Amino acid sequence: MEQKGFTVRRIVIAGVLSAIAILLGATRLGFIPVPTAAGNATIMHVPAIIGGIMEGWVVGGIIGFIFGIFSFLQATIPLFKDPLVAIFPRIFIGITAYFTYVGLKRFNEYVALIVAAAVGTLTNTVLVLTMAVVRGYMAPGVALGVGITHGIPEIIVACILVVAVVAAWKRVETGRGRSKV
Amino acid sequence: MEDFEFLRHITLGQYLPGDSLVHRLDPRVKISVMLFMTVAITFNVSYLANIILLIVCLSFVLLSKIPLGYILSGVKPALPFIIVLAILQLLFYGDAFVPYGTESRTILRWGWVHVTSGSVQLVVVSTLRFLQLLFLASLLTNTTTISDLTSGMEAMLSPFSRVGLPGHELALVGAIALRFVPILAEQLEIIMKAQASRGADLGAKGRLRFIQTTRQMVALIVPLFIDAFRRAEDLILAMEARCYVGGRHRTKRVRFRFQRADYIAYVLVLLFSAAMVAFRNRMPF
Repeated sequence: MEQKGFTVRRIVIAGVLSAIAILLGATRLGFIPVPTAAGNATIMHVPAIIGGIMEGWVVGGIIGFIFGIFSFLQATIPLFKDPLVAIFPRIFIGITAYFTYVGLKRFNEYVALIVAAAVGTLTNTVLVLTMAVVRGYMAPGVALGVGITHGIPEIIVACILVVAVVAAWKRVETGRGRSKV
Repeated sequence: MEDFEFLRHITLGQYLPGDSLVHRLDPRVKISVMLFMTVAITFNVSYLANIILLIVCLSFVLLSKIPLGYILSGVKPALPFIIVLAILQLLFYGDAFVPYGTESRTILRWGWVHVTSGSVQLVVVSTLRFLQLLFLASLLTNTTTISDLTSGMEAMLSPFSRVGLPGHELALVGAIALRFVPILAEQLEIIMKAQASRGADLGAKGRLRFIQTTRQMVALIVPLFIDAFRRAEDLILAMEARCYVGGRHRTKRVRFRFQRADYIAYVLVLLFSAAMVAFRNRMPF
Protein backbone atom coordinates (compact mmCIF):
# COMPACT_ATOMS: atom_id res chain seq x y z
CA MET A 1 0.00 0.00 0.00
CA GLU A 2 2.82 2.42 0.79
CA GLN A 3 4.59 1.97 -2.55
CA LYS A 4 5.54 5.14 -4.37
CA GLY A 5 4.62 6.09 -7.91
CA PHE A 6 2.40 4.43 -10.45
CA THR A 7 2.12 0.70 -10.01
CA VAL A 8 0.12 -1.41 -12.44
CA ARG A 9 -2.42 -1.86 -9.64
CA ARG A 10 -2.94 1.87 -9.24
CA ILE A 11 -3.31 2.45 -12.98
CA VAL A 12 -5.91 -0.29 -13.35
CA ILE A 13 -7.92 0.54 -10.22
CA ALA A 14 -7.99 4.21 -11.20
CA GLY A 15 -9.19 3.28 -14.69
CA VAL A 16 -11.90 0.88 -13.56
CA LEU A 17 -13.28 3.17 -10.84
CA SER A 18 -13.33 6.07 -13.30
CA ALA A 19 -15.36 3.85 -15.60
CA ILE A 20 -17.91 3.37 -12.79
CA ALA A 21 -18.08 7.14 -12.24
CA ILE A 22 -18.70 7.69 -15.97
CA LEU A 23 -21.27 4.88 -16.04
CA LEU A 24 -23.21 6.24 -13.05
CA GLY A 25 -23.42 9.61 -14.79
CA ALA A 26 -24.28 8.26 -18.22
CA THR A 27 -27.12 5.99 -17.04
CA ARG A 28 -28.67 8.54 -14.65
CA LEU A 29 -28.31 5.83 -12.01
CA GLY A 30 -25.98 8.16 -10.15
CA PHE A 31 -28.83 10.45 -9.17
CA ILE A 32 -31.01 9.64 -6.17
CA PRO A 33 -34.22 11.68 -5.78
CA VAL A 34 -34.28 13.56 -2.47
CA PRO A 35 -37.01 15.61 -0.82
CA THR A 36 -35.33 18.99 -1.33
CA ALA A 37 -35.61 21.66 -3.97
CA ALA A 38 -32.36 20.51 -5.52
CA GLY A 39 -34.16 17.38 -6.72
CA ASN A 40 -31.33 14.88 -6.95
CA ALA A 41 -28.40 13.86 -4.83
CA THR A 42 -25.45 12.63 -6.86
CA ILE A 43 -23.37 9.58 -6.02
CA MET A 44 -20.99 9.97 -8.96
CA HIS A 45 -18.21 11.13 -6.64
CA VAL A 46 -18.36 7.90 -4.61
CA PRO A 47 -15.83 6.05 -6.87
CA ALA A 48 -13.34 8.88 -6.25
CA ILE A 49 -13.78 8.50 -2.47
CA ILE A 50 -13.43 4.71 -2.64
CA GLY A 51 -10.39 4.96 -4.92
CA GLY A 52 -8.76 7.40 -2.52
CA ILE A 53 -9.47 5.20 0.49
CA MET A 54 -8.25 2.01 -1.16
CA GLU A 55 -5.28 3.06 -3.29
CA GLY A 56 -4.11 6.42 -1.97
CA TRP A 57 -4.53 10.07 -2.82
CA VAL A 58 -2.99 9.88 -6.30
CA VAL A 59 -5.61 7.39 -7.49
CA GLY A 60 -8.40 9.34 -5.77
CA GLY A 61 -7.25 12.54 -7.44
CA ILE A 62 -7.10 10.96 -10.91
CA ILE A 63 -10.57 9.43 -10.60
CA GLY A 64 -11.91 12.81 -9.51
CA PHE A 65 -10.17 14.45 -12.47
CA ILE A 66 -11.66 12.00 -14.99
CA PHE A 67 -15.10 12.31 -13.36
CA GLY A 68 -14.69 16.09 -13.69
CA ILE A 69 -13.77 15.90 -17.37
CA PHE A 70 -16.83 13.80 -18.08
CA SER A 71 -19.18 15.97 -16.10
CA PHE A 72 -17.72 18.86 -18.13
CA LEU A 73 -18.09 17.10 -21.51
CA GLN A 74 -21.57 15.81 -20.73
CA ALA A 75 -22.89 18.85 -18.90
CA THR A 76 -26.28 20.07 -20.02
CA ILE A 77 -26.40 23.12 -17.75
CA PRO A 78 -24.18 26.22 -18.07
CA LEU A 79 -22.79 25.85 -14.55
CA PHE A 80 -20.90 22.65 -15.35
CA LYS A 81 -19.83 23.78 -18.80
CA ASP A 82 -17.21 25.85 -16.99
CA PRO A 83 -14.04 23.79 -16.48
CA LEU A 84 -13.18 25.71 -13.31
CA VAL A 85 -16.45 24.50 -11.75
CA ALA A 86 -16.69 21.04 -13.31
CA ILE A 87 -13.11 19.74 -13.22
CA PHE A 88 -10.96 21.61 -10.70
CA PRO A 89 -12.97 20.94 -7.47
CA ARG A 90 -13.39 17.24 -8.25
CA ILE A 91 -9.65 16.55 -8.08
CA PHE A 92 -9.73 17.10 -4.32
CA ILE A 93 -12.56 14.66 -3.46
CA GLY A 94 -10.35 11.57 -3.29
CA ILE A 95 -7.43 13.47 -1.78
CA THR A 96 -9.30 14.77 1.28
CA ALA A 97 -11.08 11.42 1.69
CA TYR A 98 -7.74 9.58 1.71
CA PHE A 99 -6.12 11.78 4.33
CA THR A 100 -9.21 11.64 6.55
CA TYR A 101 -9.28 7.86 6.30
CA VAL A 102 -5.58 7.45 7.05
CA GLY A 103 -5.81 9.82 10.00
CA LEU A 104 -8.76 8.03 11.61
CA LYS A 105 -8.03 4.41 10.67
CA ARG A 106 -6.12 3.82 13.90
CA PHE A 107 -9.19 4.45 16.06
CA ASN A 108 -11.85 2.57 14.18
CA GLU A 109 -12.04 1.35 10.59
CA TYR A 110 -15.79 1.97 10.21
CA VAL A 111 -15.70 5.43 11.76
CA ALA A 112 -12.80 6.27 9.46
CA LEU A 113 -14.81 5.12 6.42
CA ILE A 114 -17.89 7.11 7.40
CA VAL A 115 -15.98 10.29 8.16
CA ALA A 116 -13.87 9.95 4.99
CA ALA A 117 -17.05 9.57 2.89
CA ALA A 118 -18.56 12.63 4.56
CA VAL A 119 -15.39 14.72 4.12
CA GLY A 120 -15.03 13.68 0.46
CA THR A 121 -18.64 14.60 -0.24
CA LEU A 122 -18.31 17.90 1.59
CA THR A 123 -15.20 18.69 -0.46
CA ASN A 124 -17.22 18.19 -3.63
CA THR A 125 -20.23 20.24 -2.50
CA VAL A 126 -18.31 23.09 -0.90
CA LEU A 127 -15.68 23.51 -3.63
CA VAL A 128 -18.15 23.26 -6.53
CA LEU A 129 -20.48 25.83 -4.95
CA THR A 130 -17.58 28.11 -4.02
CA MET A 131 -16.35 28.03 -7.61
CA ALA A 132 -19.93 28.63 -8.81
CA VAL A 133 -20.10 31.78 -6.68
CA VAL A 134 -16.58 32.91 -7.65
CA ARG A 135 -17.31 32.44 -11.34
CA GLY A 136 -20.63 34.28 -10.99
CA TYR A 137 -23.18 31.54 -11.70
CA MET A 138 -24.91 31.74 -8.32
CA ALA A 139 -25.53 34.37 -5.69
CA PRO A 140 -23.84 33.50 -2.35
CA GLY A 141 -27.21 33.09 -0.59
CA VAL A 142 -28.56 30.71 -3.22
CA ALA A 143 -25.34 28.68 -3.08
CA LEU A 144 -25.58 28.35 0.71
CA GLY A 145 -29.19 27.14 0.37
CA VAL A 146 -28.24 24.62 -2.30
CA GLY A 147 -25.27 23.52 -0.19
CA ILE A 148 -27.43 22.72 2.83
CA THR A 149 -30.35 21.11 0.99
CA HIS A 150 -28.06 19.20 -1.34
CA GLY A 151 -25.10 18.50 0.91
CA ILE A 152 -26.83 16.73 3.79
CA PRO A 153 -28.69 14.05 1.78
CA GLU A 154 -25.56 13.54 -0.33
CA ILE A 155 -23.42 12.95 2.74
CA ILE A 156 -25.89 10.39 4.11
CA VAL A 157 -26.12 8.58 0.77
CA ALA A 158 -22.33 8.58 0.26
CA CYS A 159 -21.66 7.23 3.76
CA ILE A 160 -24.06 4.31 3.26
CA LEU A 161 -22.55 3.38 -0.11
CA VAL A 162 -18.87 3.78 0.81
CA VAL A 163 -19.21 1.65 3.94
CA ALA A 164 -21.22 -1.01 2.07
CA VAL A 165 -18.76 -1.27 -0.83
CA VAL A 166 -15.51 -1.18 1.13
CA ALA A 167 -16.78 -3.55 3.82
CA ALA A 168 -18.06 -6.01 1.19
CA TRP A 169 -14.78 -5.91 -0.75
CA LYS A 170 -12.55 -6.29 2.30
CA ARG A 171 -14.58 -9.28 3.43
CA VAL A 172 -14.32 -10.87 -0.01
CA GLU A 173 -10.63 -10.14 -0.12
CA THR A 174 -9.70 -11.61 3.24
CA GLY A 175 -12.15 -14.50 2.98
CA ARG A 176 -13.55 -13.81 6.44
CA GLY A 177 -17.10 -14.91 5.84
CA ARG A 178 -19.20 -14.17 2.80
CA SER A 179 -20.44 -10.81 1.71
CA LYS A 180 -24.18 -10.33 1.99
CA VAL A 181 -24.77 -9.41 -1.65
CA MET B 1 -37.77 -4.20 -19.17
CA GLU B 2 -36.45 -1.40 -21.36
CA ASP B 3 -35.44 0.42 -18.16
CA PHE B 4 -32.56 -1.99 -17.89
CA GLU B 5 -31.06 -1.54 -21.31
CA PHE B 6 -28.26 0.88 -20.73
CA LEU B 7 -25.93 0.21 -23.60
CA ARG B 8 -27.98 2.02 -26.17
CA HIS B 9 -28.50 5.08 -23.98
CA ILE B 10 -24.86 5.87 -23.44
CA THR B 11 -24.14 8.86 -25.62
CA LEU B 12 -20.80 9.88 -24.20
CA GLY B 13 -18.08 10.57 -26.68
CA GLN B 14 -20.08 9.09 -29.48
CA TYR B 15 -17.87 9.11 -32.53
CA LEU B 16 -19.68 10.00 -35.74
CA PRO B 17 -17.60 8.78 -38.68
CA GLY B 18 -17.01 11.32 -41.39
CA ASP B 19 -14.43 12.78 -43.70
CA SER B 20 -14.73 16.49 -43.00
CA LEU B 21 -11.81 18.83 -42.41
CA VAL B 22 -12.38 18.62 -38.65
CA HIS B 23 -12.41 14.81 -38.72
CA ARG B 24 -9.06 14.72 -40.51
CA LEU B 25 -7.24 17.08 -38.15
CA ASP B 26 -4.57 15.67 -35.86
CA PRO B 27 -6.09 14.85 -32.43
CA ARG B 28 -3.38 16.94 -30.76
CA VAL B 29 -4.54 19.94 -32.77
CA LYS B 30 -8.15 19.34 -31.83
CA ILE B 31 -7.33 19.07 -28.12
CA SER B 32 -5.20 22.24 -28.33
CA VAL B 33 -7.97 24.10 -30.14
CA MET B 34 -10.39 23.04 -27.42
CA LEU B 35 -7.99 24.27 -24.69
CA PHE B 36 -7.22 27.61 -26.39
CA MET B 37 -10.88 28.33 -27.08
CA THR B 38 -11.88 27.34 -23.53
CA VAL B 39 -9.37 29.83 -22.13
CA ALA B 40 -10.67 32.56 -24.46
CA ILE B 41 -14.28 31.77 -23.51
CA THR B 42 -13.51 31.68 -19.79
CA PHE B 43 -11.89 35.13 -19.82
CA ASN B 44 -14.45 37.04 -21.89
CA VAL B 45 -17.57 38.51 -20.30
CA SER B 46 -18.62 41.19 -22.82
CA TYR B 47 -21.56 40.75 -25.19
CA LEU B 48 -19.55 41.38 -28.36
CA ALA B 49 -16.73 38.97 -27.48
CA ASN B 50 -19.20 36.19 -26.71
CA ILE B 51 -21.11 36.77 -29.95
CA ILE B 52 -17.83 36.57 -31.90
CA LEU B 53 -16.84 33.39 -30.03
CA LEU B 54 -20.25 31.82 -30.66
CA ILE B 55 -19.96 32.55 -34.40
CA VAL B 56 -16.50 30.97 -34.48
CA CYS B 57 -17.71 27.86 -32.61
CA LEU B 58 -20.71 27.60 -34.95
CA SER B 59 -18.42 27.79 -37.97
CA PHE B 60 -16.38 24.88 -36.53
CA VAL B 61 -19.62 22.86 -36.28
CA LEU B 62 -20.49 23.70 -39.90
CA LEU B 63 -16.98 22.69 -41.02
CA SER B 64 -17.34 19.33 -39.26
CA LYS B 65 -20.67 18.63 -41.07
CA ILE B 66 -22.17 17.30 -37.84
CA PRO B 67 -25.88 18.18 -37.69
CA LEU B 68 -26.49 21.04 -35.27
CA GLY B 69 -29.72 19.39 -34.10
CA TYR B 70 -27.78 16.32 -32.99
CA ILE B 71 -25.53 18.39 -30.74
CA LEU B 72 -28.43 20.38 -29.29
CA SER B 73 -30.63 17.31 -28.70
CA GLY B 74 -28.64 16.45 -25.56
CA VAL B 75 -29.69 19.70 -23.89
CA LYS B 76 -33.44 19.06 -24.10
CA PRO B 77 -33.91 17.10 -20.82
CA ALA B 78 -32.06 19.75 -18.81
CA LEU B 79 -33.94 22.70 -20.27
CA PRO B 80 -36.32 23.33 -17.31
CA PHE B 81 -33.39 23.38 -14.90
CA ILE B 82 -31.44 25.81 -17.11
CA ILE B 83 -34.41 28.18 -17.27
CA VAL B 84 -35.03 28.11 -13.49
CA LEU B 85 -31.35 28.78 -12.80
CA ALA B 86 -31.30 31.66 -15.29
CA ILE B 87 -34.40 33.24 -13.69
CA LEU B 88 -32.89 32.96 -10.21
CA GLN B 89 -29.69 34.55 -11.50
CA LEU B 90 -31.64 37.35 -13.14
CA LEU B 91 -33.84 38.17 -10.16
CA PHE B 92 -31.55 37.82 -7.17
CA TYR B 93 -28.00 38.37 -8.33
CA GLY B 94 -28.24 42.14 -8.04
CA ASP B 95 -24.96 43.99 -7.75
CA ALA B 96 -22.80 40.95 -7.16
CA PHE B 97 -21.56 40.99 -10.75
CA VAL B 98 -20.34 44.21 -12.35
CA PRO B 99 -18.65 43.84 -15.76
CA TYR B 100 -15.24 45.50 -16.10
CA GLY B 101 -15.36 49.18 -17.01
CA THR B 102 -19.15 49.56 -16.73
CA GLU B 103 -21.48 50.70 -14.04
CA SER B 104 -24.29 48.48 -12.93
CA ARG B 105 -27.63 50.22 -13.40
CA THR B 106 -30.71 49.10 -11.54
CA ILE B 107 -33.44 48.13 -13.98
CA LEU B 108 -36.05 46.85 -11.55
CA ARG B 109 -36.23 46.77 -7.77
CA TRP B 110 -39.21 45.23 -6.04
CA GLY B 111 -38.80 43.72 -2.59
CA TRP B 112 -36.22 40.96 -2.84
CA VAL B 113 -36.13 41.22 -6.59
CA HIS B 114 -33.26 43.34 -7.85
CA VAL B 115 -32.53 43.28 -11.58
CA THR B 116 -29.48 45.20 -12.76
CA SER B 117 -27.75 45.61 -16.10
CA GLY B 118 -25.02 43.44 -14.58
CA SER B 119 -27.34 40.52 -13.84
CA VAL B 120 -28.94 40.74 -17.32
CA GLN B 121 -25.47 40.59 -18.88
CA LEU B 122 -24.53 37.68 -16.64
CA VAL B 123 -27.54 35.63 -17.77
CA VAL B 124 -27.04 36.38 -21.48
CA VAL B 125 -23.31 35.76 -21.36
CA SER B 126 -23.60 32.48 -19.41
CA THR B 127 -26.11 31.21 -21.96
CA LEU B 128 -23.83 32.12 -24.87
CA ARG B 129 -20.84 30.63 -23.07
CA PHE B 130 -22.76 27.42 -22.46
CA LEU B 131 -23.56 27.09 -26.17
CA GLN B 132 -19.95 27.75 -27.17
CA LEU B 133 -18.56 25.12 -24.81
CA LEU B 134 -21.29 22.66 -25.75
CA PHE B 135 -20.33 22.98 -29.42
CA LEU B 136 -16.61 22.60 -28.70
CA ALA B 137 -16.94 19.62 -26.36
CA SER B 138 -19.37 17.80 -28.67
CA LEU B 139 -17.15 18.46 -31.68
CA LEU B 140 -14.09 17.03 -29.97
CA THR B 141 -15.82 13.79 -28.96
CA ASN B 142 -17.97 13.45 -32.09
CA THR B 143 -15.12 13.77 -34.58
CA THR B 144 -12.32 11.91 -32.76
CA THR B 145 -12.13 8.21 -31.95
CA ILE B 146 -11.38 7.23 -28.37
CA SER B 147 -8.01 5.72 -29.25
CA ASP B 148 -6.99 8.88 -31.14
CA LEU B 149 -8.11 10.98 -28.20
CA THR B 150 -6.07 9.02 -25.65
CA SER B 151 -2.96 8.86 -27.87
CA GLY B 152 -3.30 12.56 -28.49
CA MET B 153 -3.54 13.21 -24.75
CA GLU B 154 -0.51 11.04 -24.13
CA ALA B 155 1.53 12.83 -26.80
CA MET B 156 0.58 16.19 -25.32
CA LEU B 157 1.45 15.15 -21.77
CA SER B 158 4.80 13.58 -22.73
CA PRO B 159 6.85 16.82 -22.43
CA PHE B 160 5.80 16.99 -18.78
CA SER B 161 7.31 13.59 -18.00
CA ARG B 162 10.62 15.42 -17.40
CA VAL B 163 9.10 17.12 -14.36
CA GLY B 164 7.62 13.86 -13.13
CA LEU B 165 4.13 13.95 -14.60
CA PRO B 166 3.38 10.42 -15.83
CA GLY B 167 1.73 11.20 -19.17
CA HIS B 168 1.77 7.65 -20.47
CA GLU B 169 0.23 6.26 -17.29
CA LEU B 170 -2.48 8.93 -17.20
CA ALA B 171 -3.41 8.19 -20.81
CA LEU B 172 -3.56 4.48 -19.96
CA VAL B 173 -5.90 5.20 -17.03
CA GLY B 174 -8.15 7.12 -19.44
CA ALA B 175 -8.08 4.31 -22.01
CA ILE B 176 -8.91 1.67 -19.39
CA ALA B 177 -11.77 3.82 -18.09
CA LEU B 178 -13.30 4.26 -21.55
CA ARG B 179 -12.83 0.58 -22.40
CA PHE B 180 -14.49 -0.55 -19.18
CA VAL B 181 -17.62 1.60 -19.48
CA PRO B 182 -19.47 -0.73 -21.91
CA ILE B 183 -18.29 -3.86 -20.03
CA LEU B 184 -19.57 -2.51 -16.72
CA ALA B 185 -22.77 -1.26 -18.37
CA GLU B 186 -23.48 -4.79 -19.52
CA GLN B 187 -22.67 -6.11 -16.05
CA LEU B 188 -24.96 -3.52 -14.48
CA GLU B 189 -27.78 -4.67 -16.73
CA ILE B 190 -27.24 -8.27 -15.61
CA ILE B 191 -27.20 -7.24 -11.93
CA MET B 192 -30.41 -5.21 -12.31
CA LYS B 193 -32.21 -8.09 -14.00
CA ALA B 194 -30.95 -10.51 -11.33
CA GLN B 195 -32.10 -8.30 -8.46
CA ALA B 196 -35.43 -7.56 -10.17
CA SER B 197 -36.05 -11.28 -10.67
CA ARG B 198 -35.55 -11.71 -6.91
CA GLY B 199 -38.29 -9.16 -6.34
CA ALA B 200 -36.26 -6.00 -5.87
CA ASP B 201 -38.39 -2.95 -6.61
CA LEU B 202 -35.87 -0.89 -8.52
CA GLY B 203 -38.24 1.38 -10.38
CA ALA B 204 -40.04 2.96 -7.43
CA LYS B 205 -38.19 5.97 -6.14
CA GLY B 206 -39.92 8.06 -3.49
CA ARG B 207 -38.45 11.46 -2.80
CA LEU B 208 -39.26 11.31 0.91
CA ARG B 209 -37.69 7.92 1.35
CA PHE B 210 -34.27 8.58 -0.07
CA ILE B 211 -32.53 6.52 2.60
CA GLN B 212 -34.62 3.52 1.57
CA THR B 213 -33.88 4.28 -2.07
CA THR B 214 -30.19 4.35 -1.20
CA ARG B 215 -30.45 1.02 0.55
CA GLN B 216 -32.07 -0.39 -2.58
CA MET B 217 -29.21 1.12 -4.56
CA VAL B 218 -26.77 -0.77 -2.34
CA ALA B 219 -28.12 -3.97 -3.92
CA LEU B 220 -26.90 -2.67 -7.30
CA ILE B 221 -23.87 -0.58 -6.44
CA VAL B 222 -22.11 -3.09 -4.21
CA PRO B 223 -22.18 -5.99 -6.73
CA LEU B 224 -21.16 -3.52 -9.45
CA PHE B 225 -18.10 -2.38 -7.50
CA ILE B 226 -17.19 -5.92 -6.45
CA ASP B 227 -17.43 -7.08 -10.06
CA ALA B 228 -15.32 -4.12 -11.18
CA PHE B 229 -12.68 -4.93 -8.55
CA ARG B 230 -12.60 -8.60 -9.64
CA ARG B 231 -12.10 -7.56 -13.26
CA ALA B 232 -9.44 -5.10 -12.17
CA GLU B 233 -7.60 -7.86 -10.28
CA ASP B 234 -7.68 -10.02 -13.43
CA LEU B 235 -6.32 -7.21 -15.55
CA ILE B 236 -3.59 -6.43 -12.99
CA LEU B 237 -2.54 -10.07 -12.97
CA ALA B 238 -2.54 -10.22 -16.77
CA MET B 239 -0.49 -7.05 -17.09
CA GLU B 240 2.01 -8.08 -14.43
CA ALA B 241 2.34 -11.56 -15.96
CA ARG B 242 3.33 -9.88 -19.23
CA CYS B 243 5.84 -7.70 -17.38
CA TYR B 244 4.11 -4.46 -18.28
CA VAL B 245 6.36 -1.47 -17.71
CA GLY B 246 5.07 1.95 -18.60
CA GLY B 247 6.99 5.05 -19.37
CA ARG B 248 9.32 6.70 -21.78
CA HIS B 249 10.89 3.75 -23.52
CA ARG B 250 7.70 2.42 -25.07
CA THR B 251 7.24 2.97 -28.78
CA LYS B 252 3.99 3.41 -30.68
CA ARG B 253 2.67 1.69 -33.75
CA VAL B 254 0.83 4.74 -35.04
CA ARG B 255 2.66 8.05 -34.96
CA PHE B 256 0.92 11.34 -35.52
CA ARG B 257 2.39 13.78 -37.96
CA PHE B 258 1.25 17.36 -38.47
CA GLN B 259 -0.07 18.12 -41.98
CA ARG B 260 -0.33 21.57 -43.47
CA ALA B 261 -3.97 21.93 -42.40
CA ASP B 262 -2.94 21.07 -38.85
CA TYR B 263 -0.33 23.84 -38.70
CA ILE B 264 -2.75 26.38 -40.18
CA ALA B 265 -5.60 25.45 -37.80
CA TYR B 266 -3.28 25.45 -34.78
CA VAL B 267 -1.71 28.86 -35.52
CA LEU B 268 -5.01 30.52 -36.50
CA VAL B 269 -6.85 29.40 -33.36
CA LEU B 270 -3.88 30.24 -31.14
CA LEU B 271 -3.67 33.78 -32.54
CA PHE B 272 -7.45 34.24 -32.37
CA SER B 273 -7.68 33.06 -28.74
CA ALA B 274 -4.70 35.18 -27.71
CA ALA B 275 -6.31 38.22 -29.34
CA MET B 276 -9.64 37.54 -27.62
CA VAL B 277 -7.90 37.33 -24.24
CA ALA B 278 -5.73 40.41 -24.90
CA PHE B 279 -8.65 42.61 -25.98
CA ARG B 280 -11.15 41.28 -23.43
CA ASN B 281 -11.47 44.64 -21.65
CA ARG B 282 -11.60 46.79 -24.78
CA MET B 283 -14.82 45.50 -26.32
CA PRO B 284 -17.20 48.38 -27.07
CA PHE B 285 -20.16 46.62 -25.41
